[in-house]
Amino acid sequence: MAKVTFDRVRKVFNDAVAVADLNLVVQSGEFMSLLGPSGCGKTTSLRMLAGLEFPTSGTISIADRVVNEVPPGKRDIAMVFQSYALYPHMSVAQNIEYPLKKRGVGRADRQIKVKEVATLLQLDGLLERKPRQLSGGQQQRVALGRALVREPAVFLLDEPLSNLDAKLRSHMRAELIQLHQRIGRTMVYVTHDQLEAMTMSDRVAVMSNGVLQQCGTPDEVYNRPVNAFVASFIGTPSMNFVDVTFERTADGVRLTAPGLSLKLPSHALRQEAGGGGRSTVTIGIRPEDVLVANDGAPALVKVFESTGYENIVLFEMGGGNLVGRFGPDVRLRTGDHVTLQFRTSKLHVFEGRDGKRLNSDIEPIAGRAAGRSA
Amino acid sequence: MKMTIDHPASGLRRKSVKLSTRYGVLGALLIAPSILLFCIVIIYPLVSAIYLSLFSIYTPTLQGRWVGLGNYAQLISGREFWPSLWNNLVWTIGTLSLQVFFGVGLALLLHQNIVFRSLARSLVLFPYFVSTVVAVLIWRWLFNDLYGVLNHVMLIAGLIDMPLDWLGSMPNAMISVILVGAWKYFPFVVISVLARLQTIPEHLYEAASMDGAGWWARFWDVTMPQLREVLAVVILLRAIWDFKEFDLIYLMTGGGPVTSTQTLPLLVYKQAFALNEMGGASAIAVVMMLIMLAFMILYMRDPRPAEGK
Amino acid sequence: MNLVAWTVVFVVAFPLLWMILTSVKQQSELFQIPPTFLPEMITFEHYFTLINETPFLTYFRNSLVIALATTCVVIVIATLGAHSLARFSFPGRERLAQLVLFTYLLPSVVLIIPLYLLMVQLGIANTLFSLTLAYTTFALPFALWLLRSFMLGIPQDLEAAALVDGASRMEAFFDVILPQALPGIISTALFSFILAWNEYLYAMVLVTTEEIRPLTTGVMNMLITSYNIEWSLLMAASVMMSLPVIVGFALLQKQLTRGFGAGGVKG
Repeated sequence: MAKVTFDRVRKVFNDAVAVADLNLVVQSGEFMSLLGPSGCGKTTSLRMLAGLEFPTSGTISIADRVVNEVPPGKRDIAMVFQSYALYPHMSVAQNIEYPLKKRGVGRADRQIKVKEVATLLQLDGLLERKPRQLSGGQQQRVALGRALVREPAVFLLDEPLSNLDAKLRSHMRAELIQLHQRIGRTMVYVTHDQLEAMTMSDRVAVMSNGVLQQCGTPDEVYNRPVNAFVASFIGTPSMNFVDVTFERTADGVRLTAPGLSLKLPSHALRQEAGGGGRSTVTIGIRPEDVLVANDGAPALVKVFESTGYENIVLFEMGGGNLVGRFGPDVRLRTGDHVTLQFRTSKLHVFEGRDGKRLNSDIEPIAGRAAGRSA
Repeated sequence: MKMTIDHPASGLRRKSVKLSTRYGVLGALLIAPSILLFCIVIIYPLVSAIYLSLFSIYTPTLQGRWVGLGNYAQLISGREFWPSLWNNLVWTIGTLSLQVFFGVGLALLLHQNIVFRSLARSLVLFPYFVSTVVAVLIWRWLFNDLYGVLNHVMLIAGLIDMPLDWLGSMPNAMISVILVGAWKYFPFVVISVLARLQTIPEHLYEAASMDGAGWWARFWDVTMPQLREVLAVVILLRAIWDFKEFDLIYLMTGGGPVTSTQTLPLLVYKQAFALNEMGGASAIAVVMMLIMLAFMILYMRDPRPAEGK
Repeated sequence: MNLVAWTVVFVVAFPLLWMILTSVKQQSELFQIPPTFLPEMITFEHYFTLINETPFLTYFRNSLVIALATTCVVIVIATLGAHSLARFSFPGRERLAQLVLFTYLLPSVVLIIPLYLLMVQLGIANTLFSLTLAYTTFALPFALWLLRSFMLGIPQDLEAAALVDGASRMEAFFDVILPQALPGIISTALFSFILAWNEYLYAMVLVTTEEIRPLTTGVMNMLITSYNIEWSLLMAASVMMSLPVIVGFALLQKQLTRGFGAGGVKG
């Protein structure tokens, strides 16, 4: 079990900055996900932690020991690759025992450990097979086994589930969560799938274009995203964004857009909001916080999708699109005219479409959405 | 520079050399034997050749004297260099065209589903891998004016009424040599093109068929664009290798009749070992290399004009 | 389509077929006019003459030794070098890769003269060693290029996994990369062997004594005197000279066509 520290880590390839000044601490025993779209630097960061890439500057430490110049094999880590990277010419048993062999463990001891791990991962009958004779899920478990057998201080996982089909993926998610609970070691998990990150992690580090956007618990990144990028990346269907005009009034803040008018108390937003004479901001509201009500902003139903346990509706409102998520009892048809309200306690306000979040989070916002009166 | 923090208990020596540097050194070490060999058997002779070309060296005794650019002046004004260069060009262009034409053609044929396809492919490769000596022996026997089977077949077919002297007269000798060269080396084109053909997705042809394209249109509009890159490389490689070909021509005709099939490589050899003038021979060799270099540079700058269009 | 294809294949392979047929025809049959196609009677007398009454076996042994030695040296050095070119980064690596390609294109006639001088000066002219050394001239760049492209095709993650599992870079090379590269190494070895086996010019210039002479120059020398060309022996010799090629092909058909395509056309 060990703490992992990235201290001002920077990686530049030729002229492209892959990772810019990453400062991140993974607590001992924590399950931390590095989440972001392709090219955001999450895999590069993981590989630097593994010792497969060299940082251009900055230090990486494991258990308070700087490991920049330590070869991967001596960092007390184990890694599961996206492609599993099983040795094709070796049997499953030989694959799993390989790290022990490199460490000099005797044959008898190796066999015992391999058996243990195989039983744990239900690979018992497959020990003599070659990787190409296994299914995707089985290969993945062999890769896990090879990592487990080392009993390392830190586990590194690089999108291990992305090559599995959907059903298997959700099954393996649960297995990994249980595994982490059982062995309690530090895990650093790279993924582009926010669902994986949200369900499995103690904390999520969201990255974009090489920059760490936010590091927090799933609850924090979901409900208190630090900027519009994090807000839109987390959650599916994604958060709705509407550009509104911003006005400070005597009793609070008024946000208006065609067909939409919102009032918020002044303490709802941080001081700097509006102090700089800003006149437009962007509000964000998640689909589940969109409500069909008796009055409110007028909207037209464009597409109605029913999944059986919920209904996803695409509206046209005020010239733009809005997605709402409702329980199975809300029935609408294409072409219906409705009026929408937003659950204002869940309203987010951002400096523009890619800007910082301006909410103050002091107390739940109470306010009202109202339609334009005729 | 950051200092590494040691924990005595971790058992690590302080590594004063960066890991990336150590990897780099290992990489350099692994390739060092190759570099060493390169220097001995390639770099050194290459540089030497240029150096030697500035001397006049008598082969049996290896005694030399400085002549500066005298060798070059001699070869430019001499009477053998230019005809040999001409022969070289005729030979190269002749055999290269045949190699490419038949190479592409056969590759297309072998791409189809024919019976015993892999056997056919192996058989077609044989000329390339057989020794030049063997190829020459076989063909000289085939070309034999009295007992060669080629003359016999052509007589029977009524194509000729007297046995041809394939190797002893012109233009027969050059044509024969070009033909044998094509036979020996066209499999290289076949394999390269075939390998590329096998990567062209089937659905491109299906889409073309659905649009009403006949077999020629499919070839021209789907296959050829995909082959362009491969062909560019193959033509360059074969042009260079054909240009510098020694064994085949030397063994088939020795440069004859007289010097009518003598190409530059043969001239170099003759100059060095028959006329005993090593310096002059080196000069010709250097000029040969310059010509090839010029060709390569021009070729890589100017994209080849689209085939036939 | 089948007919067209196989006709062409037949035409291409005909000379080789003729070689085999001629080698088993009786001497008298060879000089019939008009010549016969199929032998009236099959005889192996020419092969026996070749083996017993000519230095053919000496030449064969020489070629075998030289080709094997060249192949071993080239494979060992090129495998290590290819690994370096494929998986390491150090200053000048790209230059080296281009240099390798460039040497592919050098005429042997350019190199042969200085090489000859070098061998004479080193006192090793007319030895098997000198030929082995000379043959690496063209076998090495070729092997490096082929092996490098094979190794680039091995997934990078495999070496990475081995490193994380505690292997040093050389251990990763032996445990993981080599076994994966084995098919490519075998193909390259076969190619190198054939190249060395077939080489003529260097053999002609560098070796003048009978005991060291390899097959290529030996056969040409031995049997072509001014007027008396013994075609029967020549064809038998040709068949025997082609044995390694035939054997190699039979064993590694699929691999050769695949491997050659990958390595031979790198631009």
